Amino acid sequence: MIELRKIWFSYSGDRHVLRDVDAQFDRGLTVVMGPNGSGKTTLLKVSSLLYKATKGKVMVDGVDYWSLKDPDKLRVRREVIYVHESPRVIRGSVLDNLAYGFKLRGLREGEALREVLRLVELLNMKHLAEERAVGGLSIGEKQLIALVRALALKPRYLFLDEPLAHVHLSKRRSVVRVLEDLKDSSAIVVSTHDPLPLLSVADEALLIDEGRVVFRGRAEEALRLVL
Amino acid sequence: MTMCGEILDVVARSLLISSSATLLAAAWSIPASVKLASSRSRWRDPVVGVFNALVGFPAVLVGLLVYLAFSRSGPLGWLNLLYTPQAIIIGQAALITPLFISLSYELFARAIDNYWELAVSLGASKLQAYGLVVKEVLGEVLVVVLVAFARAIGELGVALLVGGNIKGTTRVLTTAIALEVEKGEFDKALTLGLLLLLAIVVVAMSSRLIKRRLS
Ligand SMILES: Nc1ncnc2c1ncn2[C@@H]1O[C@H](COP(=O)(O)OP(=O)(O)OP(=O)(O)O)[C@@H](O)[C@H]1O
Ligand SMILES: [Mg+2]
Repeated sequence: MIELRKIWFSYSGDRHVLRDVDAQFDRGLTVVMGPNGSGKTTLLKVSSLLYKATKGKVMVDGVDYWSLKDPDKLRVRREVIYVHESPRVIRGSVLDNLAYGFKLRGLREGEALREVLRLVELLNMKHLAEERAVGGLSIGEKQLIALVRALALKPRYLFLDEPLAHVHLSKRRSVVRVLEDLKDSSAIVVSTHDPLPLLSVADEALLIDEGRVVFRGRAEEALRLVL
Repeated sequence: MTMCGEILDVVARSLLISSSATLLAAAWSIPASVKLASSRSRWRDPVVGVFNALVGFPAVLVGLLVYLAFSRSGPLGWLNLLYTPQAIIIGQAALITPLFISLSYELFARAIDNYWELAVSLGASKLQAYGLVVKEVLGEVLVVVLVAFARAIGELGVALLVGGNIKGTTRVLTTAIALEVEKGEFDKALTLGLLLLLAIVVVAMSSRLIKRRLS
């Protein structure tokens, strides 16, 4: 479980972007909602151990992550994946990108590729996977690649920042289905401006406004709030 | 020495001195840029601002300052470097440092923002994350190196003031051109000028090629 305890965060100076945030992410799907600039991305980056909070603690399985030594940090971090809001790719082919996470873990390409190909098939992205250079792809295509790159690793904790923003409606349903499959074994946290397609399969929901958690509860309750 | 041999000698010396200066400047500018780009200190922006402002610093003023430092009564006079190739190398390295740092700071800031965080978000170790950043910016760093080299080889102020345009030791393309013009040997000056231009064109074409390969 990843647990945020009284988290405060500011990028610079004394303007706090997160204020006294408590949250817990355990197996299941959590939807994070909130207006533009409310702090969703920041919350996800703090939770996924990319940013260190200005104040407060991030506990992973009961251990204070930022007090760990480097090798232990890495071991914990390997199970936590964050996917950026605006998709990021590395130079090279689509397959280079899809296999990058596996390469970091020193895993064999063969094993890695099997899971990648399963997802590629599932998301109907075969034509994409054969593409040699990612440079020329559309933003939505890059987002799908970033998504598969993360999903294929089957991390224990997966943080997705607006994963569907650039994805066409017809493909959204397949992505949601993949998330539904994974959420039994992993903690998935998704920030979104369009909560409806996700709330129906989600377990928990979190609403933040101006850096404060204003709602935290079951997804069904949130659904009633939204509708 | 024949005229042709003399010219080739000057060309070779120019290339050698300015590439040494570029490497020397790279040796401190690249680590400094990486350090700056990954710093979260509030001094970062002011420091970068100073380097940006110094990009246009006139070569002849750098020459003057280095001259004063290396002259007999200057703080570095005991090194006995005035009117040596080493003095030009140091002077040119100082001249191109602001340009070097400004350009590579931008590069590294962007790369760290992008690729460092991407690598870490996918479970990279610090070393692996550095590896990705370096791999992604290497080509662009090369372009910065070439731009800095072009500025170094084309400058006159430093080479003239601290090199002294001594035949066979510190005469480089730009100082040789100045001398030939003074002597009224315009043909020779033009030949040297064309060679200088050629060097710069080759550099510019290489950077274009690198950029093309990158995209
Ligand atoms: N790198 C940064 N430097 C300084 N301030 C930042 C930075 N990133 C975000 N902020 C500020 O922090 C606040 C929260 O930003 P954040 O990106 O977390 O919001 P968000 O809820 O994800 O917004 P959106 O829905 O538009 O993606 C904003 O007011 C923003 O201006
Ligand atoms: Mg955001």
